[in-house]
Amino acid sequence: MSSDTEVVIRARHLAKAYKLYDSPKDWVKQQVLGSEKNPYYKSFWALKDISFEVQRGKSLGIIGRNGCGKSTLLQIVCGMTKPTKGEIWVKGRVAPVLALGATFDLEATGRENVLIGGAVLGLKRQEILRKFESITDFAGIGAFMDQPLKLYSVGMRMRLAFAICAHIDAEILIVDEALAVGDLAFQKKCVDWIDNFRRTGTLLFVSHSTGELSRLCESAMWIDNGRVREAGSVADVARAYRRATFVEKDNMKRFSAV
Amino acid sequence: MVNLNNRQELPDAPVMHIVDGKAVEPRDYNWLERFVRFLLRPFVEAWHHRDLIAAILRRELRERFSGSMAGWVWAVVAPLISLVTYTLVFGGSSTLPNKTQSSSSIDYALFIFGGLVAFNFFTEMAYRAPSLLHEYAHYIKQTMFPAEMLPIISTLRATTYASIGLALMLVCQLAFTGTLHWTVLLLPLWFIPFLMFLIGITWLLSAMGAFTRDTAYLMMTIAPVLMFATPVFFSHETLGPTWYLLMYANVLTGFIETIRDLVVFGKIPAGLVIAWTMFISLFFFWFGYWFFRRQQDAIADVI
Repeated sequence: MSSDTEVVIRARHLAKAYKLYDSPKDWVKQQVLGSEKNPYYKSFWALKDISFEVQRGKSLGIIGRNGCGKSTLLQIVCGMTKPTKGEIWVKGRVAPVLALGATFDLEATGRENVLIGGAVLGLKRQEILRKFESITDFAGIGAFMDQPLKLYSVGMRMRLAFAICAHIDAEILIVDEALAVGDLAFQKKCVDWIDNFRRTGTLLFVSHSTGELSRLCESAMWIDNGRVREAGSVADVARAYRRATFVEKDNMKRFSAV
Repeated sequence: MVNLNNRQELPDAPVMHIVDGKAVEPRDYNWLERFVRFLLRPFVEAWHHRDLIAAILRRELRERFSGSMAGWVWAVVAPLISLVTYTLVFGGSSTLPNKTQSSSSIDYALFIFGGLVAFNFFTEMAYRAPSLLHEYAHYIKQTMFPAEMLPIISTLRATTYASIGLALMLVCQLAFTGTLHWTVLLLPLWFIPFLMFLIGITWLLSAMGAFTRDTAYLMMTIAPVLMFATPVFFSHETLGPTWYLLMYANVLTGFIETIRDLVVFGKIPAGLVIAWTMFISLFFFWFGYWFFRRQQDAIADVI
């Protein structure tokens, strides 16, 4: 097996059910009396059947409507949540560029957040301190580094968050509709960085923009209602997806199917 | 900019492999190996995440005093005032609550204060634990955050205040009597099991608190009652034999008795008391960890 075709992400028949309890009482009942067969909760299947593989150095774009399961899938690949059924196999350090800036502590300064954020992503303190200059440069927010995060604009928070993610030396980058907030110059900087990353790293990229997908990805996957509806070249998947958007109305009952 | 070109192939790249909701181990372990791995696991994980623990702990400690001018002075003044108050109020009493003669005017105050140091340490954890995971919900939901480290971090944070109280006790005793009992050297042997007990309790309460807010209300309701069911202001040794044994059902009794024996009376606690407190510490530590791990996947989904 040469390293060119080595699979780094493999998912087979992934399914994820969230347990929905009507009241906290039901949770207690489930702990004491409940079983898998006779549960006190309702299952909501966010993912039903997802299979795919990504080889080292390749990039896969993921597209789909709100609530189709994209984010759940990315969270599973990152290891934030476990799949209920099926198999997931991921090899390499993962950098999650999800919900950028959502994990910041607003009372802490940018500097403190870099130290904590880097540690959360698995960096040693020495590594973070060594890369600190470079992170500051990338974020480009200057003297705001020593101000509390609550004084930052949404765009500045996103810049800092992306700058941290860009410095953790990951082998797999997972990006979730993250680039929409920054200004054009910063978006370009991020896309350039991702381009550079792709030369050696593996990319999972979620976007609603088919243009971004064809710019950054070699293949694409369309997820609909927790299943893979279409997979293949970016152009084919994007065309099928666009066509379906015209035909299928935005179904109001989509989220109530528990 | 990070240089991506000369990146080395990592032979020890981390592998995540999960089948049907269960992590796949590199090989099969027999029951003994699984048991030993489970016992070691909290320590292995804490060591692995030591930089993260330190980063959050540093931040939490700074946050506690960031808005105040006097900062750390408050952490010393508050326990000092209560110690002075007890000395003034109880200083004239020549008999301690456990019917022994006091050897100096500060013994009575130290007797109560020692109980309070341990009890307040416990209540600080009990009050905070149910909401602990909610405080860090954004980390738990959005990042690969080891939530099981939070109870360790918050216990370590509370440790700093308990240590200040303990240090004050020793300083006051030294100032009033001129000597310390040699048994204070054994305090670490009291402190470490107590920490394990509190971390275990916090694992338990925080996991329960993630699912139901009732945990927080429950703790707020029982903690004040517990204060009088715990020999903080009195000694269980003066109670009748039935009550005497019943007091040990309160898990805090043994810890409080031990700290008094070591600091105030300068004697080694009874063997049975040591064994009982050790058992409680170890039991709660691993039971709490087991319970937390069992709920962990669900926690990330509900919080």
